[in-house]
Amino acid sequence: MTQPQSRIRRSFGDLSERALAFWLLVPAALLLGLVALYPVGRLLYTSLFRRRLTDETGNSPVFVGFQNFVQAFADERFWTALWNTLLIVLVTVPGALVVGLLLALLANLPFRVKWPVRLGLLLPWALPLVFAGLIFRWFFDSQYGVVNDVIVRLGGERLLWVTTPELLFWAICISIIWKSSSFVALILLAGLQVIPKELYESAAVDGANRWQSFWRITLPLLLPAILVAAIFRTITAFQTFDIPFAMQNGGSSFETLAMYVRTMSIENLNFGYGSALAVLMFLISFAVTLVYLRYVRGADD
Amino acid sequence: MKWDNPRIWLWVAAGIVVINGFFPAVWILLTSFKTEGELTRIPITWLPENPTLQNYVQAFTNAPIMRYFLNSLIVAGGATLLCVLVSALAAYALARLRIPNKTLIFSLLVGVSMFPTVTLLLPLFEMVLALGLRNNYIALILPHAALSIPVATLVLVSFFQGIPKDLESAAMVDGCSRLGALWRIVVPLSAPGVFTASILAFVNSWDEFLLALTLMPSQAMRTLPVGIQFLQGEYSFPWPLISAALVIALVPVALVIAIFQERVVGGLTQGGVKG
Repeated sequence: MTQPQSRIRRSFGDLSERALAFWLLVPAALLLGLVALYPVGRLLYTSLFRRRLTDETGNSPVFVGFQNFVQAFADERFWTALWNTLLIVLVTVPGALVVGLLLALLANLPFRVKWPVRLGLLLPWALPLVFAGLIFRWFFDSQYGVVNDVIVRLGGERLLWVTTPELLFWAICISIIWKSSSFVALILLAGLQVIPKELYESAAVDGANRWQSFWRITLPLLLPAILVAAIFRTITAFQTFDIPFAMQNGGSSFETLAMYVRTMSIENLNFGYGSALAVLMFLISFAVTLVYLRYVRGADD
Repeated sequence: MKWDNPRIWLWVAAGIVVINGFFPAVWILLTSFKTEGELTRIPITWLPENPTLQNYVQAFTNAPIMRYFLNSLIVAGGATLLCVLVSALAAYALARLRIPNKTLIFSLLVGVSMFPTVTLLLPLFEMVLALGLRNNYIALILPHAALSIPVATLVLVSFFQGIPKDLESAAMVDGCSRLGALWRIVVPLSAPGVFTASILAFVNSWDEFLLALTLMPSQAMRTLPVGIQFLQGEYSFPWPLISAALVIALVPVALVIAIFQERVVGGLTQGGVKG
């Protein structure tokens, strides 16, 4: 084999390799373009029009520029929904991280039979959110719920979880934390398992107690995994829809941003304004994603 | 130190994790055997006094649970198949071939996986209306498949990278084309990865609520999460019926994760899935 020949063959190979790669990526790109990228573009476009299907002009949208956004900033219901959503993020993300860390630490203990513990973490993850909402709605039932039953047995008073706004908020948060902490635990468990055991051994030789080795070894080394889990949780918590929807049977005395977007666009058929709300939601979510991507790229280097 | 008796604490630790994970499932299982009368009694009973299968009979006869089940199966099955097929091709390109801007493509994948579904809802709703696809399985299969592509692709890339390149080269020297090598060597060897990606895609679709609620509004086309959510009346909460329906809906997913738990855990932590 002479040198030039092989170079020629390689460059031919390169060409077809690129073409092949292109065609292999096309189906995924098409599907994602159709279902994710095009909709986002379409959303941006629609948000600039007044377009209500309930109007007579419903099918002939009127260009209004940024008026829908101006309307959103003056819309009290939007601010309430945004505030509710932020409250959920602020409560459930740290909540799920703490509970998840606890579960991960417990699950990381040296069990001989591992599957029951693993299943105990996977079951909440695999349970549809709506089902979690329904089940916890029943748990928090003021008459027949198991939560009030336990409270009464312990000598407390029945609480009207679902009908008292503040209690409803906490019931929703507890449900979300329960549902999402197992996912956090799975991520953290993977992080725990790559921490070298020798570190703990040498720390123990140096006379560190468990508490100290947790603070000095476990937590710092787990920080990247915690960060990943935190960002995933933040983005998902920001989209909270299913659990409050199911717990209130589709009602909206406690409304999240996602619930408001859906009500405006699908129930009220106010496409223009609904799109503007969705764009605002997308922008906030996108900002968080950018932070995440920066972190991922930073971790790669 | 009594405090440090490892045996006891291991049991306690396992107990906490297992009870935390299983309690709601066990509770609805117990509830599903209770009669309506038993459910509306105070104080509540923890174990059913006169276990009955009445609620299951109801779920199958009064509520179209079988229909919902079938709908979920068709949608999740179709979405999984499409997603894994498309993702496997993309993952092969990303794992094996020289592509410009690979980092950008990966970033795009991760970025897309974080789009809030509710922001895609209205444009998808419009598209589905315009194409006359409302209440058509395709209206749900396509978006469900697309939404799982990032996860499935990332999982498959990491599996494909684990397979020695020499095996493919050998096959190609023996006259196999690249696609032939993908089909005959890479896919069979990464069957565990294909499995993992399939389970993740399946669970994603089986659990999805928002799109299913909006794009398949007719009762006969509802998937399980939507159908069961609608078993709630406006003023009533027929919990015996709902709990039986929930048990029926949970059995297949619980079985799948019980059988493939190790793969699922591996996939979750490899693909960086949202949960």
